[in-house]
Amino acid sequence: MYIINSAIILVPTLFALFVHNYICHGKITFLKKLSFFFIYGVIVGGLMYTIAWTKGIKGIGIVYMTVSHKIEFTLFGCVMSFCIAFAICLAVEKDITSQKLKMYLFRFQSDIRKYFHYAVCSAKAELRSEVANAYLDWLWWLIEPFCMMLIYTLIFGVVFKASEQFFPVFIFSGLAMWTFFSRGINVSVNIVRVNKGIISKIYLPKFILYFARMLVNGFKMLVSFAIVVIMMFIFHVPLSVNVLYIIPIMIVFFLFTFGLGTILMHFGVYINDLSYIVGIVLSMLMYFTGTFYSVGNRIPAPFGELLEQFNPIAYCIASMRNAILYCKAPQMDLLIMWAIVSIVLAALGVYTIYRNENAYVKVI
Amino acid sequence: MEDKEIVVEAKNVCIHYRIMKNITVRHNLFQKHAHQEVFEAVKDVSFTVEKGGILGIIGRNGSGKSTLLRAIAGVFSPNSGAIDLKGHTVSLMALGVGFKDNLTGRDNISLSGMLLGFSEKQIQNKMEEIIDFAEIGDFIDRPVRTYSSGMHSKLAFAITAMLETDIMLVDEVLSVGDERFKKKSLNKMQELINDKNRTVIIVSHSIDTLKNFCNRVMWIHDGEMKEIGEPKEVLDHYVKFMN
Repeated sequence: MYIINSAIILVPTLFALFVHNYICHGKITFLKKLSFFFIYGVIVGGLMYTIAWTKGIKGIGIVYMTVSHKIEFTLFGCVMSFCIAFAICLAVEKDITSQKLKMYLFRFQSDIRKYFHYAVCSAKAELRSEVANAYLDWLWWLIEPFCMMLIYTLIFGVVFKASEQFFPVFIFSGLAMWTFFSRGINVSVNIVRVNKGIISKIYLPKFILYFARMLVNGFKMLVSFAIVVIMMFIFHVPLSVNVLYIIPIMIVFFLFTFGLGTILMHFGVYINDLSYIVGIVLSMLMYFTGTFYSVGNRIPAPFGELLEQFNPIAYCIASMRNAILYCKAPQMDLLIMWAIVSIVLAALGVYTIYRNENAYVKVI
Repeated sequence: MEDKEIVVEAKNVCIHYRIMKNITVRHNLFQKHAHQEVFEAVKDVSFTVEKGGILGIIGRNGSGKSTLLRAIAGVFSPNSGAIDLKGHTVSLMALGVGFKDNLTGRDNISLSGMLLGFSEKQIQNKMEEIIDFAEIGDFIDRPVRTYSSGMHSKLAFAITAMLETDIMLVDEVLSVGDERFKKKSLNKMQELINDKNRTVIIVSHSIDTLKNFCNRVMWIHDGEMKEIGEPKEVLDHYVKFMN
């Protein structure tokens, strides 16, 4: 029992340490590690305690908490410690100071400005070359997702008798976002290797390659969402102002995909087996993300909701559906939390790339 | 010799390759400190090139010439030391950067040009010139994958030759295509290299080429600079050494 209770603090603390270790590329001595362990323990524990206090759980509380609360707290602690570790690294580490952060930020900004045009053109070219020889040309961008939607509607709507309202729209919108995510992540692992011809001859910030790829996927997602809009008219989906929430949700989603992708892109250069692992994890994640069903409603009580809150993809998809189909606003605190995490993740990804891209050409 | 503006300045440039076989997860987990060998491709090389100068680099295979060239082009930065280009634009003469097989030649020109750092407008201005030079006729509006290998390299050469930068880096003087185009491309190269405002660095094995083009030659042996100076002297020493 004590083990489980202490895990609430321990797991986030270890996670924070792991993140710290990652950022500093494993140059920390054991003693330093130990001291950081205590520092993180105090900070994470303290923060969680305060939050528990403000949320109305008085007293030390851990003993009285239900299992679902404990899991929720552990997961929440992990999310928080991720950001805290980043902030602490900025404050204490010699390698990454706020000065350097500013420098990287500036460099990132100028790089984006310089290469944005290329990214757009390359995305356009990619899209054009994909359909250049197909008989139906760009119609495939409509037909492909539409047929996928029909298949899933048939299987999950008719065979498994799903009861969600506006089921075809429900599936189609989820599928559009999931495809964007999974395609992006799948590609990111190999993207440096695939573009060897380019990067061995000229310099460009490597995340631009991934960014261009994301624009391609983003365009396809946009086409899918155009169909979603049409379907919403056909199914007489009621609309409200809450539809506008889709904009921040999409931004968070985009940032998260970008951040995760850039980090995987870095490891993909060095670790060959990563593409298999990513493939497996993605196909597992697909079922935990609720592309075909509502995670919150279908999975037994505490776990379903937890999964929806602490799986960013599931959260984005679920709140997107709430916004456009059921006139519900997303949970603001969660949206802000994931926004912060995504920004940190993207910053971390870009930092990783900047730091290591020099060596990529020499490895592949 | 009068003082001339220095365009390329390399100071104590060292470049290492970590000999890292692509690690698998298994290696990563079970051999924590896999000893990484470091291979020094370029060791402590310093030189300057003044404006309009043509520097030739010679050395036997694997002596780090191309690595040095790529570092100057900015593909990767040196591990220690610095390369200062004083804000000039630079391009590595590289054929067919970022070509996409399914796109037409025209699209590939703009894509490739953009990768080489030119704006869309500049490329549009040069477009006709490039197409004229490449001499591939109607094929310019067909997908690149339908090109013969000769046409492919003709187009690629036309792009790199037409988009001019202050500093040009040449890895082996290129001549592509049939006899006629070979002559034409060689002439173009000569024209580009001999331009008074352009600084050129040429890597080559051909002693004749270097003798023809360069006003200075650097000899690199196993990553170290052995000699730099008048082409005739250095090349003679090199030939003697190699035999």
